Amino acid sequence: MVRQNKKYFPIFVLPTLIAFTVAFFIPFLLGIVLSFTKFTTVIDAQWVGLRNYMEAFSSKEFTNALWFTVKFAIVSVITVNVFAFLLALLLTRKIKGTNLFRTVFFMPNLIGGIVLGYIWQLILNGILFPFGMTLTFKPEFGFWGLVILMNWQMIGYMMVIYIAGIQNIPKDVMEAAKIDGADRFQILRKITIPLVMPSVTICLFLTMSNSFKLFDQNLALTAGAPSRKTTMLALDIYNTFYGSVGSEGIGQAKAVVFTLIVALVAVIQLNLTRKREVEN
Amino acid sequence: MKKSSKLLAILLTLVMVASALTACGGEKKAKETTQQKESTKTEEKKEETSNDQSASNEEEKVDEIYYLNFKPEIAEVYNQIAADYEAETGIKVKVVTAASGTYEQTLKSEVAKSDPPTIFQINGPVGYESWKDYCLDLKDTKLYSYLSDKSLAVTSGDGVYGIPYVVEGYGIIYNNAIMEKYFALPDKATDITSMEKVNNFATLKAVVEDMTAHADALEIKGVFASTSLGAGEQWRWQTHLANMPLYYEFKDNTAYDNSILAGLAANEIEFKYADNYRNIFDLYVNNSSTQKGLLGSKTVNDSMAEFALGQAAMVQNGNWAWSQINGVDGNVVAAEDIKFLPIYTGVTGEEKQGLCVGTENYFAINSKVSPAKQQASIDFLEWLFSSEKGKDYVTNQLGFIAPFTTFEEDEKPVDPLAREVLAWMEKDVESVTWTFAAFPSEDFKNYFGDALLEYVQGGKTWDEVVTIVKDSWKSERAK
Amino acid sequence: MEARSQNHKKIGSVMLFILLTVLSILFLSPIFIVLMNSFKGKFFISETPFKLPNSETFVGLDNYLSGIEKTKFLHAAGWSLFITLSSVTAILLFTSMTAWFITRVKNKFNSMLYYIFTLSMIVPFQMVMFTMTKVANVLHLDNPVGIIVIYLGFGTGLSVFMFSGFVKSIPLELEEASMIDGCGPIKTFFLVVMPVLKPITVTVAILNSMWIWNDYLLPYLLIGMDYKTIPIAIQYLKGGYGSIDMGAMMAMLVLAIIPIVVFYITCQKYIIEGVVAGAVKG
Repeated sequence: MVRQNKKYFPIFVLPTLIAFTVAFFIPFLLGIVLSFTKFTTVIDAQWVGLRNYMEAFSSKEFTNALWFTVKFAIVSVITVNVFAFLLALLLTRKIKGTNLFRTVFFMPNLIGGIVLGYIWQLILNGILFPFGMTLTFKPEFGFWGLVILMNWQMIGYMMVIYIAGIQNIPKDVMEAAKIDGADRFQILRKITIPLVMPSVTICLFLTMSNSFKLFDQNLALTAGAPSRKTTMLALDIYNTFYGSVGSEGIGQAKAVVFTLIVALVAVIQLNLTRKREVEN
Repeated sequence: MKKSSKLLAILLTLVMVASALTACGGEKKAKETTQQKESTKTEEKKEETSNDQSASNEEEKVDEIYYLNFKPEIAEVYNQIAADYEAETGIKVKVVTAASGTYEQTLKSEVAKSDPPTIFQINGPVGYESWKDYCLDLKDTKLYSYLSDKSLAVTSGDGVYGIPYVVEGYGIIYNNAIMEKYFALPDKATDITSMEKVNNFATLKAVVEDMTAHADALEIKGVFASTSLGAGEQWRWQTHLANMPLYYEFKDNTAYDNSILAGLAANEIEFKYADNYRNIFDLYVNNSSTQKGLLGSKTVNDSMAEFALGQAAMVQNGNWAWSQINGVDGNVVAAEDIKFLPIYTGVTGEEKQGLCVGTENYFAINSKVSPAKQQASIDFLEWLFSSEKGKDYVTNQLGFIAPFTTFEEDEKPVDPLAREVLAWMEKDVESVTWTFAAFPSEDFKNYFGDALLEYVQGGKTWDEVVTIVKDSWKSERAK
Repeated sequence: MEARSQNHKKIGSVMLFILLTVLSILFLSPIFIVLMNSFKGKFFISETPFKLPNSETFVGLDNYLSGIEKTKFLHAAGWSLFITLSSVTAILLFTSMTAWFITRVKNKFNSMLYYIFTLSMIVPFQMVMFTMTKVANVLHLDNPVGIIVIYLGFGTGLSVFMFSGFVKSIPLELEEASMIDGCGPIKTFFLVVMPVLKPITVTVAILNSMWIWNDYLLPYLLIGMDYKTIPIAIQYLKGGYGSIDMGAMMAMLVLAIIPIVVFYITCQKYIIEGVVAGAVKG
């Protein structure tokens, strides 16, 4: 069969491969090359070696965006997962209406980032109004605004994954533990958590990469104000590309660094959690 | 061996597909070049034949031109103009309007495309520097010959690359009805009885602060409408108001003919009139209809609405704002009560200072599109500024004070703000040049605006703002 | 003793129910607040978003009418729908074929393809944002039809990965039987494999629809000047018409949410299952 099929390669693979090559692969390679050049229209690229990278790291905006993003990712990964896991625990108990609750908590996840950003801009500005302040008053407001937004969007999503994980725990393990006289907290620590570790891996991975790549929400909620102090990496790269003529190379260098960071975080994080899964 | 042949096969198919794709593109290109050839042919012909015929010749060659508009507040009018022009000539004018504060970004992504804007605008010599590769020399066009003051154009060497299409003025717009009410107050603390007497910062300050004290009696929320500092809404402060101190600074540099040239040559600034900027800015913010902390979410629309609804007596803006004032539901300001006051900042001799009059709107024609498209674009602009129908749009709907000789005395806009600008230009005062044309970049303005927001919110001291302005001028100029 | 603990349990679950109800209301409140404000005049929104409309502030459907007209919302919805449906269709068809082929025909090239596809999932969009826009422009793909090719390319990673995972779990016997019956690979794929792929197809369809429907930056850069999808139209409201009109903004936010809610309520089961399956495999 294998032999026969080979000649069908053009039909089965080629359309996808072409689209992938055009939309992703060529731009990706081109992007790496261009990060070492100065260019405005791709054709006029001139080799400048590592200068773009040096300029990227010496730009205060980039390092600021980097720290902001890292802080944001840490805080939102923790909060989203803690809340999502707690909700999942509650919703796997036998109570009325779990399905309805699940439906409600999940819904914000379907709404697009731009729309989410403006919804929360309205609400947060409304809350701050009586105090004579707005979201752009301090960078901290934008930070926590983004964290709240992220929680609202992602909790439901992570929750359904945790629910699936908890429901997959074999009933007899639980029963056995109960017969052995384990209390609720012990069951949680010794059985539930270790056995949902695969879900934890997935959830950490998803929240982490979503936090790092956040763009639409950032653009709509604060657009970086005040003074670009709430600009995250993705938005900073966008600003570098389109904000002024002549800094495209620096933008591309920032994008390469961004890609490396995201990849690195993903690899480290998957390895760490996988290891824990095995140990348990 | 087998593996490599397989790879080869794949590569071949890839190349085939790629060539098929580029072939399509190539075909199109080929068509375009033949079109170009034809159009150059027709142009040659055109010179022999009369002008009227050339229009019909163009029609066959170019079916669409593309104008990237800078002014969102009048985008609708341009759509009407485009429809009319298409009905008259058959040439479609595609009008795209960049969102406020994103013109450079939009132009940058659009100009790189295969179907780029044919008409765009630059904001002066600095804009020309960024876009010079795309600016067509317009010195032989009729449009340039219409220009009433040729020195207004953006030139480089022998070439003319940007033609201003509107002269605008800005200052402090005030509602005279509220001022009269104040002058009639029995317990007012100043002895000023008419706006004629307000001709320097000290007087303005005294009046404004006394008005704030009497806000209830005057039925206003604040003397000044909100100092809008939302993202993309800060241009009145980071560009227009920023013009004042830097105009004076560059004017002091007598080595240059005018403040713009001095500004363009300045690698660094002293910002020595920073305190004057602070004078007026603090006055705006401290006597505002909105608390300081909330200014970060305010928009220009909010400000203009506050003024139109009579909640504020004054607002800094230009004559283009008339449509915004007029368009507010429940507008209580009568047209005859709307007046302009120059922006006084406490500079010595400012009694002789007028409004800020100038332009940052220059048409440029994209030199990288086909000659036929360039010509069609020029034709459109010439039609807009010289035909009866076009001129009617310009004066009555766009509200432009157009700097062209094709406009007669009675073809000046009639809205109250434009009339005021014209009146101030006649007065025995010196208009302030739009020196911000010499500002190093959009980013410089944005850094200034961002710093202002933080200053208002208490996150930065005034000294820090001054440092930021000086530093970012230097670094942006160096780019 | 027994009865008391039973009672305890009952009280506990009632408390829990109340807690969850409160949380649900809290979760939904942002949407209700936007809905409420969409009926208020534009100057009564940003400062008092938590006040119900009253006789002074209520403007009926004005915001909706002016917003729809300003943003050409119906066009935007049309483009969003067209691009999402056609891109998702293309992704489902082509990536399922590819996934099946590279899973079944084992050679180095195919497994290399699989790894490249998979790795592409990690790369953030900003990495290829500028160059992709350029390539798409050169190849004349910056129009609502060409963007389908781009979405197919960007959707390849996740979709091939998920289809492949599923294909691996299908027993070979089915396909072999079909081959023995004289069906070629094409017939085999469409008649035998595709029906089996149905559950994963639903998952892939949902994940890609959610992404493409809500996508902002890619369509903005490629076609945003001429064809505005819903997210682009909403973002353009801010600044695109001189200055933001909060009333129209609220109304457009509501209109953007409605189709999502309707879609969610009708296919809720599939969506949640699909998303979980997608996450677990991805």
